[in-house]
Amino acid sequence: MAETLVFDAAGFVAEQVAAVKKQVGSRTAVIAVSGGVDSTIAAAIVHTAIGKQLHAVYVDTGFMRKGESEAVEAMYKRMGLNLTVVHAGPEYFEALGSTTEPEAKRKIIGEKFIRIFERESKKTGATVLVQGTIAPDWIESGGGKRDTIKSHHNVGGLPKDMKLELCEPLYHLYKDEVRAVARHLKVEVAERQPFPGPGLAVRVIGNLTPERVQLAREACDVVEREIEAAVAAGKMAKPWQYFAVLTNTPSVGVQGDLRAYGETVAVRAIDSLDAMTGTAVHVPYEVLGRIARGITNHPKMKDKVNRVVYDITDKPPATVEWE
Amino acid sequence: MRIWVVDNGSQWTHRQWRVLRYLGQETQIVENSTPVADIAAANVDGLLLSGGGARVGLDDRLGNVGDYLDQLKVPVLGVCAGHQYMARHFGGQAAPGAAPEFGRVEMDVLDEGDILRDVPAKTVVWASHHDEVSVLPPGFKVLASSKDCPIQVMRHATRPLFGMSYHPEVEHTEHGVQMFRNFVRICEEARTND
Repeated sequence: MAETLVFDAAGFVAEQVAAVKKQVGSRTAVIAVSGGVDSTIAAAIVHTAIGKQLHAVYVDTGFMRKGESEAVEAMYKRMGLNLTVVHAGPEYFEALGSTTEPEAKRKIIGEKFIRIFERESKKTGATVLVQGTIAPDWIESGGGKRDTIKSHHNVGGLPKDMKLELCEPLYHLYKDEVRAVARHLKVEVAERQPFPGPGLAVRVIGNLTPERVQLAREACDVVEREIEAAVAAGKMAKPWQYFAVLTNTPSVGVQGDLRAYGETVAVRAIDSLDAMTGTAVHVPYEVLGRIARGITNHPKMKDKVNRVVYDITDKPPATVEWE
Repeated sequence: MRIWVVDNGSQWTHRQWRVLRYLGQETQIVENSTPVADIAAANVDGLLLSGGGARVGLDDRLGNVGDYLDQLKVPVLGVCAGHQYMARHFGGQAAPGAAPEFGRVEMDVLDEGDILRDVPAKTVVWASHHDEVSVLPPGFKVLASSKDCPIQVMRHATRPLFGMSYHPEVEHTEHGVQMFRNFVRICEEARTND
């Protein structure tokens, strides 16, 4: 927009702290934290409101990025949160089985999160579940007249028999507003790029095998490292979101004088303010080249990826993620 | 001003709410099934008709939007499906466009018509539609057009009723905020002239 309007972060925080105190009272609450800016800010606000009554739960779904779980755990400990880490990778993989349909994956993952939180809340006696749900999550999950663009794990998968009362302090916010709150509260992850709740499960199209998830994990790591290096070197601005997708489109290649028939990885870098509309980033070719080689030549890829393409589509008609 | 957003099912209904709030206006999102008597009783100063789900602009009744247009005197801005419905309601037509518009569109402003005041003659707007207003309703004027969508913006000759095919409420519409400011001003002027 030619004109940018400004959000009142301090006013918002004061308003929400009061609202949370009113909603939760003296009860115990459990909050789902992912290491992302939304849930971290929700935790910061609720922690300010109810302190020790808040129990934070971080679920390692098995679909997190390289080194993510360790980094996330360390950050929440620094914030002084009462934290439990649940290693649920095998449980998620089992629940997903051979499901490949994107909406089905999202619903299964959403449901699994809730079951885990129900278990954790029983252990703590919590009757309130806090989530860092923001506006795009419930808007894109549809309902009523609104089409379901995609189900968000914190909205679409919630089972009807859920016994926990929901508290969502960020319900009306968009990501740019959450970041304004994060900067105001001086929270570490203010500028961290968004990462979908279902994680790498929606960056692997087709069969979710641990091996393919690992390929996506390494490819995402290459994209992040190369783009961040290019940003640090002043070659480009930091995109809103940047990652790799295992597209499930095999193609012919030649590797070491041998015919190859391997995976195609799509690289995605998109700019946005609020995730509701976006434009594909003009990544310098030199950086794309480094990314392509970084992926295809990576020892951990074991020659499984022989082609890398770049996604040049805006939103709409595409979405930020592929699933 | 009290400007309510009528929800016809768009992804960006809540963004309309957000822009109005940032402009300091009193606003809330209401279902399009809300009876016109309730809206009249609330003494609103203006209404936004949000876009809708797939194809609803073509043949859906959009709840009670017809009653709002017939029985309320306040300024109304219809966006996308809201704009298409407005055209049909006043005797025009909406139909699938020769080509859809998704994302960036270069629009030419032909006439400011109050709602496009201070918007440059060539401006970028952000769209997401298969369908468009194909026949201008009698008495309406075209204010802006683009290559693939000749009736991008229209207005009633005398009443403060406006339609926009694209989405002024999203970040990527370059002068979207100015368009909203114009609509707020139009609502203020209508109130003063009451």
